[in-house]
Amino acid sequence: MKAIKHLFLALSVICAASAYADTTRIFHDTQGRPLEATFVKLEGDTVYLQVVATGQTVGVPVSKLSAEDQTAIKTMTPAANANAMTSVATNASAHDAAAKIDQLVSMGLSQHGVKPNAPLNDEQFVRRVYLDIAGRIPNYDETTAFLKKAGTDKKARAQLIDDLLESEGYVSNMYNYFAEMLRIKDRSVDGGAFVRGLPYIQWIKDQLKANTSWDKMVSTMLTAEGKIWNNGAAGYLLRDSGMPLDNLANTLSVFLGTDVACAQCHDHPFANWTQRQFYEMASFFGATTTLLSGRDYNQAKLMAEVSSAVESGGQDPKVLMNQIRNTVIRANTYVVQDLPENRTKLPPDYRYKDGKGGDPISPKLIHWVPPNKQLKDVIKDDERLACYKLAADVEKKAASVKNTMKYNKNPMQKQTKSIGDMNENLRATFAAWATHPSNPRFAMTIANRMWARAMGQSLTANKSVVDNPDDAYNPPLIKHLANEMIRVKFNLKEFLRIVYNTQTYQREATTADLAMGEPYYFQGPVLRRMTAEQAWDSYMTLVLGEQIDKNKNDDVDLYARSVDMDLSNPKLDAPTVLRKFQAVRDINTKQRAKVGGGLAKAGEEMMDGDEMKIATFGNMKLMRASELEQPAPPGHFLREFGQSERLLIDGGVKSGSVPQVLMMMNGQAQNMLTNHDSLINRNIMKQGTPDQKVEAVFLSILNRMPTDRERAIAKKAISEEGENGAFASMIWALVNTREFSFVQ
Amino acid sequence: MSNPYLKLDPASRREFMLRTAKTAFGVSVLSHFDSAFGASSPAPSGVGGKAKSVIYLYMAGGMSHIDTWDPKTGDTKGAKDPIKTKGGFELSGYMTEMAKVADQISIVRSMSSKTGVHEAGSYVMHTGYDPRGTIIHPTLGSWAQHFLGRSHKTLPSSVVIGSGDANAGFFPPALAPVPVSSPDAGLQNVRSNIGEGQLKKRLSLMNEFDASFREKYKSSDVKAYTEFYDETMNLLSSSDLKAFNLNEVDGATKTLYGTGGFSKGCMLASRLVQHGVRFIEVRLGSWDMHNYVDQGMNRLGTEMDKGFAALITDLKQKGLLDSTLIIMGSEFGRTPRINENSGRDHYPKAYSTVFAGGGIKKGYIHGATDKDGREVTDKQATCQDFIATVGAAMGLPISEVVMSPSGRPFTVGDKGSAITELFA
Repeated sequence: MKAIKHLFLALSVICAASAYADTTRIFHDTQGRPLEATFVKLEGDTVYLQVVATGQTVGVPVSKLSAEDQTAIKTMTPAANANAMTSVATNASAHDAAAKIDQLVSMGLSQHGVKPNAPLNDEQFVRRVYLDIAGRIPNYDETTAFLKKAGTDKKARAQLIDDLLESEGYVSNMYNYFAEMLRIKDRSVDGGAFVRGLPYIQWIKDQLKANTSWDKMVSTMLTAEGKIWNNGAAGYLLRDSGMPLDNLANTLSVFLGTDVACAQCHDHPFANWTQRQFYEMASFFGATTTLLSGRDYNQAKLMAEVSSAVESGGQDPKVLMNQIRNTVIRANTYVVQDLPENRTKLPPDYRYKDGKGGDPISPKLIHWVPPNKQLKDVIKDDERLACYKLAADVEKKAASVKNTMKYNKNPMQKQTKSIGDMNENLRATFAAWATHPSNPRFAMTIANRMWARAMGQSLTANKSVVDNPDDAYNPPLIKHLANEMIRVKFNLKEFLRIVYNTQTYQREATTADLAMGEPYYFQGPVLRRMTAEQAWDSYMTLVLGEQIDKNKNDDVDLYARSVDMDLSNPKLDAPTVLRKFQAVRDINTKQRAKVGGGLAKAGEEMMDGDEMKIATFGNMKLMRASELEQPAPPGHFLREFGQSERLLIDGGVKSGSVPQVLMMMNGQAQNMLTNHDSLINRNIMKQGTPDQKVEAVFLSILNRMPTDRERAIAKKAISEEGENGAFASMIWALVNTREFSFVQ
Repeated sequence: MSNPYLKLDPASRREFMLRTAKTAFGVSVLSHFDSAFGASSPAPSGVGGKAKSVIYLYMAGGMSHIDTWDPKTGDTKGAKDPIKTKGGFELSGYMTEMAKVADQISIVRSMSSKTGVHEAGSYVMHTGYDPRGTIIHPTLGSWAQHFLGRSHKTLPSSVVIGSGDANAGFFPPALAPVPVSSPDAGLQNVRSNIGEGQLKKRLSLMNEFDASFREKYKSSDVKAYTEFYDETMNLLSSSDLKAFNLNEVDGATKTLYGTGGFSKGCMLASRLVQHGVRFIEVRLGSWDMHNYVDQGMNRLGTEMDKGFAALITDLKQKGLLDSTLIIMGSEFGRTPRINENSGRDHYPKAYSTVFAGGGIKKGYIHGATDKDGREVTDKQATCQDFIATVGAAMGLPISEVVMSPSGRPFTVGDKGSAITELFA
């Protein structure tokens, strides 16, 4: 029976790959009520339809359809992934949904004659799942508690997944992922960005904590207005202030799995994107500015007043004036707002026949054209999708506007109503299209990314390109995961819960090298080195224990309150500017006051009045990577271990280097762990016998019991060095093993 | 789209390439060492061959050509007037220190690139190749190590100072430049707070505890890490480590460079050259001046001006300028027109690179742009020509085809032509 089912699925994949869009239409019920849906399959008296608006697949009795539809469905080809689409009930449990994924994975494996890896044991599971969900290794107590429970309780794993998804660690770890993907920086001097990223960073963390759905998060970022501290989501466009084209290329890449960066300057050499198409997409953001210019407020007058009011107190007045300008005045010029005119024009060096440099370009959405199809046919199909429909009106209107309006010298003033409204609609339209369940790539892109997070490898060779899902390593699986993302309504936590509950995830990591560029069929996750953040946060686990998530970076409120002023207010005077400047300067002093307590106190609750104190070792603040400077400064453990500079999408590096190994041998973080006062050392010494101490050091660092051989080696070390020296050496040795830094 | 590499993302590509390189070449610490360094290199390309070391000053973000090496007087001039220099040509008003040593440099004012994107532009200015989904191309330090072997027994042959990518392209990872994130810190963490004997003991404990894991996971990622530990131990036992220590620089030299971060990077580069490191890149970021270019130039331009000039003076005083080539490059220039945010945008069509020492002419201007700095009007040079020129200066066989592990042919500078007029 099972074999037959597999055969049927395999056949349907091969036969019906391209039939999907042909069967999207408006269905009617017997009372003439319309429903836009894609035909999935006909099974006995039930017809399965995927509702375009919600992405959900529903089973409907054939008799409820209009007579015309009843006839039509008899000749329709079932959807390529029909079984996947109908096998998971709308309200399926994570367990059932996971089973469906496993089924698709095992089909892929058997199709290619690959055997699945062995299941994970509990020790491997507890370490991996903490690292993957909470971003750190489990501490000694967490490890032993789980191992004990798992011995008797079959549901222990699912329960741990649920608990970790609700933990603070989940937020921190997800933030690290998105910070790398979205290239989030706090302070950036590139191109003179003088506004801090703190409020944006906090906004992302807040959304993850509230588990805001992904479609809502993205759409909020794309449509945000205002200053960063009034609306953290504005940070997304402000990140690339002055480079809207780069911002768009990144938007399409991270949210829609389409790499069009080449088309910024010329027609894409490998894909179907033309430079003109790129500019048509850019046009949706062409009526938006991210920076006030000196013309938008009375800069000269204000600076003159400040200059005469300032007392330099011995400091070079020119330097001081620069600081004032950069830290407070310019910070207030970073504002996302819509303009009365669309400024998108073809670049001066445009060299294709369909336009010339300087031509105004009106907004137009792209279409994904599979290799075996023509653009015009795809457009016809896409026009039926809700996401393209809702944009059609705005596209049409925008194209009819003659771009003759002069640039309004003061964009802060209200604009001509109709055109102003229309331009405000541009971003909203783009966002609605981009994040709609019926968008052909939005759900798939984030589903593929989340899959890659859990498995160490995406379903496509490049996780930023899902242009052609039929090229994926397991096409039915990537389509199914996209449907699942839609089914769970872009609830990332729910989606991850399903993935972590799969047997596929709970298998041993693949030990062999993956052949170069060869497809991977997910016999298990891929062996991968910890990210820099996972390594640092694991170190923090060893010195902070259960206090690890107690300290948060709360500079954001202080910053917002200190820096905000209204540049457009003619009454803004020099004393106000100077007061703001002083307040921003004082942030550092206030930050320093929060630091207190050394290693011996780390891991305990350190309160000073109402304020939690942050423990330090040397110049390292002992906090999660997500609470430290974004990104960490050069030379910090995080950077040496490969933390992204946050310049490129997914820019973290996982390869070694001589300087990195030097740090792992002699670095401050190592000195911290081996120090007698560190929590790990204190915990080990609390144990009774030397053998129990050896168990504790293994359970704390590698989250497993030592083998007999390892116990013997440890015993020998203790006899040679004495306990104090030997355990410092063992800690050093264990964090330096490949077993520590690779996630198996 | 039949080639699977085309589809890989950069991280996967890097990983795949590293793996293959390792399988194909193996990683060996000393195998590339030979006596080529210090010997007078032949000049297989017919010109050059005088530069035993190279210091590449890389201006990340896109350096405005008009505000530095190709000053203009018309509408596109910017905030400062051009100034007269010792080289007999004019430089932008921000280049006051360089003006004093301009008789030592040559400028190529006719650079033109095809890409206005940072990553792609930076990539081609380091490798001579456009980024491709199929392969990572090596940078010049790795090319040199491939052809000439290691430049020193224990010290790395290439170093990158300041943040930046540091991989060996399709060569084995042992040919990758060693990154130094801050010149003051030098090579970080070389001193241990335990003795060498204790360190060795800990390493052997590590190897014993790790044995079963390494037995089970024989992936080349895991192996590569083990090799990095071996190489690190070799470096630690070398007495040449002081090359990275700026504290040992004499007072007069310190005064010459001053305390700017970039200046110190230049000072470290000079010191590394003295100790036998062949290729050093010093990076200075934040040139992406879309907004407020004048303020940007006052800050960054001044820092660059001081460091570059000090480096020329220092190497000249030490008698190393003839054997050390200094080059300055950036991914592109910036728009002649100043935008509404008082900044300049990306401009690959016309920009400048600078050469000094290492067998290059002194006080020579190669090529030109029009009166506004918009178009190259004479002797256009490509990124490939730039890389080929440096390769030729180092005596690398720039036309020799090297096969990558995946069996594809590559050359230093992707068949670019060395700019022969630059050589003295």
